Amino acid sequence: MWSGPLNKIGEYRYEIPKTYRGINGNLKMRVPALIYASEEMLPAIRKDNAPKQAANVATLPGIVGRSLAMPDIHWGYGFPIGGVAATDAEEGVISPGGVGFDINCGVRLVRTNLKIGDLDRNKIRQLVDELFKNIPSGVGSQAKVRLNRAQLDDVLQMGARWAVENGYGWEEDLEYLEENGCMEIADASYVSEKAKERGKSQVGSLGAGNHFLEIQRVAEIFDENAAKIYGVEKDQIVVMIHTGSRGCGHQICSDYLRVLEQAVRKYNISLPDRQLACAPVKSKEGESYFKAMACAANFAWANRQMIVHWVRQSFENVLGRDAEELGMHIVYDVCHNIAKVEEHVVDGKKMLLYVHRKGATRSFGPGRKEIPKKYQQVGQPVLIPGDMGTESYLLRGTNESEEAFGSTCHGAGRVMSRHQAKRRWNGREIARMLEQRGIYAHPASWSVMAEESPDAYKDVSQVVNVTHGAGLSLKVAKMVPLGVVKG
Amino acid sequence: MYKIIEHTADVGIEAHGKTLEEAFEEAAKGMFAIITDGSKIEGKVKRKIEIPFDRDEEILLVDWLNELLYIHDVEGLVFGEFDVKINDKLVGYAYGEKYDRQKHGYGMDIKAVTYHMLEIKRNKKGVTIKVLFDI
Repeated sequence: MWSGPLNKIGEYRYEIPKTYRGINGNLKMRVPALIYASEEMLPAIRKDNAPKQAANVATLPGIVGRSLAMPDIHWGYGFPIGGVAATDAEEGVISPGGVGFDINCGVRLVRTNLKIGDLDRNKIRQLVDELFKNIPSGVGSQAKVRLNRAQLDDVLQMGARWAVENGYGWEEDLEYLEENGCMEIADASYVSEKAKERGKSQVGSLGAGNHFLEIQRVAEIFDENAAKIYGVEKDQIVVMIHTGSRGCGHQICSDYLRVLEQAVRKYNISLPDRQLACAPVKSKEGESYFKAMACAANFAWANRQMIVHWVRQSFENVLGRDAEELGMHIVYDVCHNIAKVEEHVVDGKKMLLYVHRKGATRSFGPGRKEIPKKYQQVGQPVLIPGDMGTESYLLRGTNESEEAFGSTCHGAGRVMSRHQAKRRWNGREIARMLEQRGIYAHPASWSVMAEESPDAYKDVSQVVNVTHGAGLSLKVAKMVPLGVVKG
Repeated sequence: MYKIIEHTADVGIEAHGKTLEEAFEEAAKGMFAIITDGSKIEGKVKRKIEIPFDRDEEILLVDWLNELLYIHDVEGLVFGEFDVKINDKLVGYAYGEKYDRQKHGYGMDIKAVTYHMLEIKRNKKGVTIKVLFDI
């Protein structure tokens, strides 16, 4: 239970003032912290202690504006999940804790020209089983393709482009990925042998935990104009993919946490929590981490790209029609665990910043040069996965999100530990319950069904409504699952 | 002796041993109990692990568990028994077998070992370790 100050400073905005000194009275916040939430969410947020972490982040050298937390905030490691922090690109620090272990964990949405009437329950079941067969998932899942070292280096440096050049997907796909699926700063020579070894057998696999692949139906349209531009309409069938950089990214984060832990002493940085380990962005340690982090980000884009290829193939196999004919284009691909160099306006001044998003999604509005031409008028699509059995959202980015360095929420946010969930529910019962709601699930195991039970999460609609109300991102469409492949 | 501890989004281990070495062994057992949901693991293969002890005990512990996770991830092995010696470096042996979903069931995929709320405490009964995993 956290009992520090949360001053309401606007609709859906609660601030921890810079003068707050923490529980021990020695916290030195450089900027205030701001939590986006509704009144009803506050007790849960306080209970979870996550505001303490948002305040801790505000002590990072070079942090500008505010330390931010999205409404899906929950207790993480060092940084809260749902945290956003921007640091000065000259004098600030970069922190692996502000990115997370699953670097470039993200979401991709693929549309089709199928309508709900085109697929009966039996077809959905066939599709889910085919997806499960073609896309490796679960603990220790190994991809169907094993890369050699040279190929892996190419993946780390080229990202999704590597996949497209090697026959996984279409050239046009790249246009609809954040960063076009590649961070150019990536340099594979900064990635350890171990991370590469783990990556070789995992590119093109879903993994486990909260990662999933869903066949969804567009259930509701909130913004006709934006939906039309995104190519989405009511009762359309879409596919959502949620996964990241697998063991490769985890290893890169672990490797650099150790390096940056030492850098903290070297550069004489004082931190309230060891897991906030960081280094000046211009230091050797900071630059090395960023180059390696970009490699993991590229790995994740290649991973989701290969999965999209197999999703298209699975649809082709079951429905007997070409993916082109089925209109299986990518709507967009977002990352929600990443640090990027971006230009933002702080106190009326343009600044180059390292924006850390840990469990937060970029939400750029109309006119930003980073987003695809086709979406210039309405802003970038923002993809918010819900949890198994409920709903996911397609939102659009806004210029108001500039207040949060162009960021919004990332998902539902856990309210119960996985273990508690597992004890409370039996996976088979959950599968039956989903079946009754017309959702067919194919998990890698029954226990993951229990861990990922819908009731273990905050209500995603509540989270999305706060970001909509606060103007960080606006609702375009709601999707509900028809079939689920769980890792 | 170990027990599984919980955290909203994550899971960890509280491991106890008469010595630091034993506590390290128990923490490793606990970690694989989370991965395999506590099922029996036979000692069919052996892996030797060496880690320099160049910093503090906390970092050594994280390195030890991360090394085991690495072998698990790359070789698809799970381990049930450990033998650890710590002097100027850690020399550990891990005994286990290939992970088999049918045989070992399925617990959770551990992404990494964290430094968060990491504790190594000594008292009259020995050493107690608290460590959290990112899952």
